[in-house]
Amino acid sequence: MGSKRIAKELAELTESPPEGITVELANESDIYQWKVYMDGPEGSPYHNGRFLVKLSLPTEYPFKPPSVSFGTKIYHPNVTNDDKGSMCLGMLRADEWKPSSKIAAVLEFARQLLVEPMPDDAVEGRIAEQYKNDRARYDEIAREWTRKYAMA
Amino acid sequence: MDYASADPTFVAKTSALAVTHPFSRIMKGDGNCGWRGDDSCLSEILYHANSPDVAVAFGYFENLFNLRDTLRVHRELLRIKSMNVLLNQVGQQEHLYEIFVDATEEIFNQISEAIQNGVRDDSFLVDAFNNEYNSSAIITHFRILTSAWMKLNPHRYQAFLSLPVDQYCATRIETVKTEIDEVGLQALVDGVVEPAGFAVEILYLDRSEGDAVTPHMLTPARPSVVTIRLLYRPGHYDLLYQAETTVNMEPVVNYQYAMTSNYTPWDQGALSFDVNSSLMSIPNLMMDPTFGLAPSPIPAAPASPFQVSSPPDVYQPPIHTSPPVPMASPPPPRMSAPPPMSSLPSRSSDGPQIRLNPLVMKPNLSHSLPVTTPFKNSPYNQAHFQNQDFEPIHWEPTPRLSDRRFIKGRPSSPLSTKDLLTVSSTFGTIESSHPHSLPYLFSSSIDLSVSLLLSVCLARCMVLRFRSLQQTLSGWRLFIKFCLSNERKHSCPHV
Repeated sequence: MGSKRIAKELAELTESPPEGITVELANESDIYQWKVYMDGPEGSPYHNGRFLVKLSLPTEYPFKPPSVSFGTKIYHPNVTNDDKGSMCLGMLRADEWKPSSKIAAVLEFARQLLVEPMPDDAVEGRIAEQYKNDRARYDEIAREWTRKYAMA
Repeated sequence: MDYASADPTFVAKTSALAVTHPFSRIMKGDGNCGWRGDDSCLSEILYHANSPDVAVAFGYFENLFNLRDTLRVHRELLRIKSMNVLLNQVGQQEHLYEIFVDATEEIFNQISEAIQNGVRDDSFLVDAFNNEYNSSAIITHFRILTSAWMKLNPHRYQAFLSLPVDQYCATRIETVKTEIDEVGLQALVDGVVEPAGFAVEILYLDRSEGDAVTPHMLTPARPSVVTIRLLYRPGHYDLLYQAETTVNMEPVVNYQYAMTSNYTPWDQGALSFDVNSSLMSIPNLMMDPTFGLAPSPIPAAPASPFQVSSPPDVYQPPIHTSPPVPMASPPPPRMSAPPPMSSLPSRSSDGPQIRLNPLVMKPNLSHSLPVTTPFKNSPYNQAHFQNQDFEPIHWEPTPRLSDRRFIKGRPSSPLSTKDLLTVSSTFGTIESSHPHSLPYLFSSSIDLSVSLLLSVCLARCMVLRFRSLQQTLSGWRLFIKFCLSNERKHSCPHV
């Protein structure tokens, strides 16, 4: 049942992808692992970067939320600054997840987070502090990392 | 923790419950899949959602199955599927919700098939609800229907919410892992269950004053085909089955969907029978104008189903077929005033029938009361000593309750005292490893059972004398809300 719905969502995302987002399966035989390419939104320090986002769906999908992580290194308060690149989204917490939400909405939300980080829900406290108190410096580092890691 | 040995309030209420709801099987919820005396694995049902909506959904399907009317099943399937219109109206997309509807349809089909094949055993329903994916799908379906219903009828619920309806639905209803609260439960009943003609009642086993559980009807006071009963105790809901059957509803065992582990059976020591007999003499109790209007935890409350002994004890099966409720025109709001006493629910949808015989009010009758059963204490009953064809009650051993088909196969008629004792003794059999259990005591002596019934009546009196239930209940509501709000801490689930 779950795979039926995933297939439909994948088809919808492939046919009419949201702005700045392209989606494909990481491996054609596994519908639960997706590769998402996200263009850094205009007006953000991530602009012109192209970020690989890994979307992993549990077998219990849609009753359990997908998980999202950045495969491309990114300087962002809501993404762990390690090799996992985990992204913390409120809507992806098990008790806040709605089975009637769709993957497209998750991806659009994640991209919106590049425009407007949520420092109060940060996983990287130091970056969040900097974002709030020294925006110019934050922008500078984020741009630099984008150039370095997301424009290859 | 145990129902009966927990604290004095629970003890008293539990002993009262044992009389009104003798079909009882206490279930372990410790993951061992253990029902005493049964191989079933119902304990898992609530493992992933200890929420009353699961109990209501299961009760809905089970009652539908027990009615054994394929036409009704088909009509219900069509009704539920027609509610896709509501989903579309609130912007749900079919390709996202269709798997939920499919799961529900599958259950309907299984029920139809089982009825057609003469299957009496409802283990297929239990299995369906024990399959996490499957039950999540059904519950999600019921939840999004509830959400759509609330969004389309905001005037009925907004006053009871601290959030705008849309936001409430997004954070409390559609989030399936969030326990549904009372307002959401009311909406589920209003929008999804009640149009089936089913009544829903909650019995609150809480620490409010009084010696009996506090009943609360979630559906309007009108005849209903069956009643889904939930037993609430702080923390979770159980499904409850009553001794007095309603028309077409065969008595079934009491599945107690418990979450707690380490259950111990009800034991005699925990039950309080020595109720002060001077309470018997409380005068004018019958005249108490508030008698039939127990305080309710939700302002939507229709009148409580409790009523004093009604003179005609001739059982008349209400013939009731509920017309499908038109989707576009919801029934008028019931949030305002409770209906007057005259519109109390009919016998078929009554709550626990602890009827007070006026004689009960006379002192010094404690051991010679003409009480037959809690529900049939009238001279019309053959077991009543004033009855022309008076015949005393005999205790008869019966098969074990664990043979559920025995219970389910009973003719649908109101239970006599004999039945009550029979079932009680059966209960005693189940609990036989604990010879001090209530039913054992119950079946061993009619005198004792009479005095037990008496104590229930007294318990009812006490409930009536203490009017602070409302505060206690709203206290619990606040507490639950507090807990919910505290749960919403921020942490990343997959770092």
